[in-house]
Amino acid sequence: MASSQHVLLSPAELSYLHSSLSLTPPLRPDGRSPTQYRPLSAETGILPGTNGSARICFADGTEAIVGVKAEVEKTKRRWDDDTIFSENNHHQQQQQQQQQQQEGEEENEGRNNNDEEGGSSDWVELTVEIPGYRDDDSGTVFLGQMLSEALLADGGFVKRLRINRRFHWKLFLDILLISPPLSYPLPLLSLTTHLALLATRLPKLKSEGDEDPFFDDDWAAAPYLYARDPATKRVAERPPVTLLVMAVGGNIIFDPSKEELAVADVVLAVSVGDDAQGKGEDRMDVDGSNPGRNLKLLSIRTVDPPSRLTPPGVANAANSAYGHAQVVNTGANQKMPEARQTESEAVEGVWKPPRGGAKAVVMGALVQKVLVRGGVADEVLDALEGVDTS
Amino acid sequence: MADRRRINGPPGATMAPVFEDDAGQPEIKNGKGRDRAPNVIRKTFLKTGVTPSASGSAYLEFEGSSKSGVSGLKLSCTVHGPRSLPRSSPFSPHIVLSAHVKYAPFATKQRRGYLRDPSERDLGTHLETALRGAIIADRWPKSGVDIIISIIEGDQDRETSKSQGDETWDMMNVLSGCITVASAALADAGIDCVDTVAGGVAALVQDAGEDSTPRIVVDPIPSDHEKVLGACCVAYLPTRDEVTNLWFKGDLPASDAGLYTQLVENGIQASRNANRVLVECLGEATS
Repeated sequence: MASSQHVLLSPAELSYLHSSLSLTPPLRPDGRSPTQYRPLSAETGILPGTNGSARICFADGTEAIVGVKAEVEKTKRRWDDDTIFSENNHHQQQQQQQQQQQEGEEENEGRNNNDEEGGSSDWVELTVEIPGYRDDDSGTVFLGQMLSEALLADGGFVKRLRINRRFHWKLFLDILLISPPLSYPLPLLSLTTHLALLATRLPKLKSEGDEDPFFDDDWAAAPYLYARDPATKRVAERPPVTLLVMAVGGNIIFDPSKEELAVADVVLAVSVGDDAQGKGEDRMDVDGSNPGRNLKLLSIRTVDPPSRLTPPGVANAANSAYGHAQVVNTGANQKMPEARQTESEAVEGVWKPPRGGAKAVVMGALVQKVLVRGGVADEVLDALEGVDTS
Repeated sequence: MADRRRINGPPGATMAPVFEDDAGQPEIKNGKGRDRAPNVIRKTFLKTGVTPSASGSAYLEFEGSSKSGVSGLKLSCTVHGPRSLPRSSPFSPHIVLSAHVKYAPFATKQRRGYLRDPSERDLGTHLETALRGAIIADRWPKSGVDIIISIIEGDQDRETSKSQGDETWDMMNVLSGCITVASAALADAGIDCVDTVAGGVAALVQDAGEDSTPRIVVDPIPSDHEKVLGACCVAYLPTRDEVTNLWFKGDLPASDAGLYTQLVENGIQASRNANRVLVECLGEATS
């Protein structure tokens, strides 16, 4: 589904909306503050047949469910892999990893060394289904690619799916929007996916080394895909979230509704992750005083603002019904009446769809606003932490 | 009388060609890699009006890398329209833009099917976003334009099998090429734009070697570098100083905002360079 679905608003309504959103502070149609998300209700573990699932319902009536299924799959070998495998070697590596986990600071170094053991991006398959739109609709594909891009950006996620050198988990993320798309569903789908991944558990591995995998059949013993800290029951590292943010007349607005998108100057989808590095220091003062997260920027995409497709208004000065003399032009103007009309100066209160792009500075400001410590991304992650995912 | 019943070999002695092994290959891979300055884009060939039956068309080619086995990107773009929309479609006060990007089945190392896969559709959406900002859409109400790009050859290293993960970064290069070539084809078709939009890529790369620190380069070839840490593709309108499409991918710490800004600035610089090629090509075509 495209962000550019038709909004049935007249030019006069669009102009009114644009000017009220350009005020300081902006007046949003639903009375939210510029950084406020729509209220939502969330629950996890709703689908017993999946490895992890979540459902989120926004206050405006849009609702999404996500189911995560995992399958064991054989890892494809490339010809230049050293196919000789020694048990000894592997044990050493395991020991190394354990050591690294104990000394949190060395973790980063260990990652670089283990790069060869990273996964491949086709271990994750993500599909988005939106009622009323085809699976191969460009908008639906765009949404799916955006969500999977955020997930795969740092390569850390696929490493979680590794079982041993011969096998890995293949993860299927199925994202379903249940309600009709009343607004651009990106924030909703991203938050739901986040929760579903947090709730995902994979069966406990019993086999060792490079044997064919053999799992514990006790589901209660299954570990989470995103491991919990045994002491605090908090999730150490969290999946990414994608935030939708738009700029209109100098104001920055988060989680815009469909009507607000219709007058946007520029719309960005920014994916942020929770950086695990430096977590060691945070661990020290876990007791309530939240120093803010170490966020990292994973991806940015420009979403085509639907405002470009809105109908333009006609100023009274150019409207013959208001006494505008029709034949006053000569030459080129006469040949192209449309051109004459649209080239006219911007008039206060007459809607003109935005033309051209946005200044790089404006885009930079949008991104900065997302990433700022203690900003909206932090708030969203904190709020999601409140959801019971066990 | 010669023997006419059989097909005989040539009368003279022939020698089967023997090719020497390219022994220098590994050294080049590890040692040199990129042979351009970090702020220089590859040489670009651009020509408009290559497909007579389309209302506008353009062909773009990037120079390959210095390594053998890496060929440059080759793109061909045709623009059909503006033409009236079919009767069944709803009224539109603007031109309806549709962009199709398709890899030729033989363009990449792994064969592509004839149907567009999600990554190609994704490229199409990006391209549409980039162009929609440039076109003056309200001059053609009730009409549509189709932009069709076929990627004849992608720039991939065919010599090694070890280019895992490069495909995702290649998409950025392809998108920037698509934007530039589509912009040229739109100009060739005579569709009004606020400015010529061109694409540019900048990436934060890590070179091979012990003591190399990450650096920012424009127009990267992923196989030249050990690792690409992040990249951004920018579609930029130089006279208005505006960005119509920004696509960033990677893994940057939020605390280092300067790095992101630098990447975008370098992307804009790359796009300015591509734009010079574009303007020169359009100038040649009109003179």
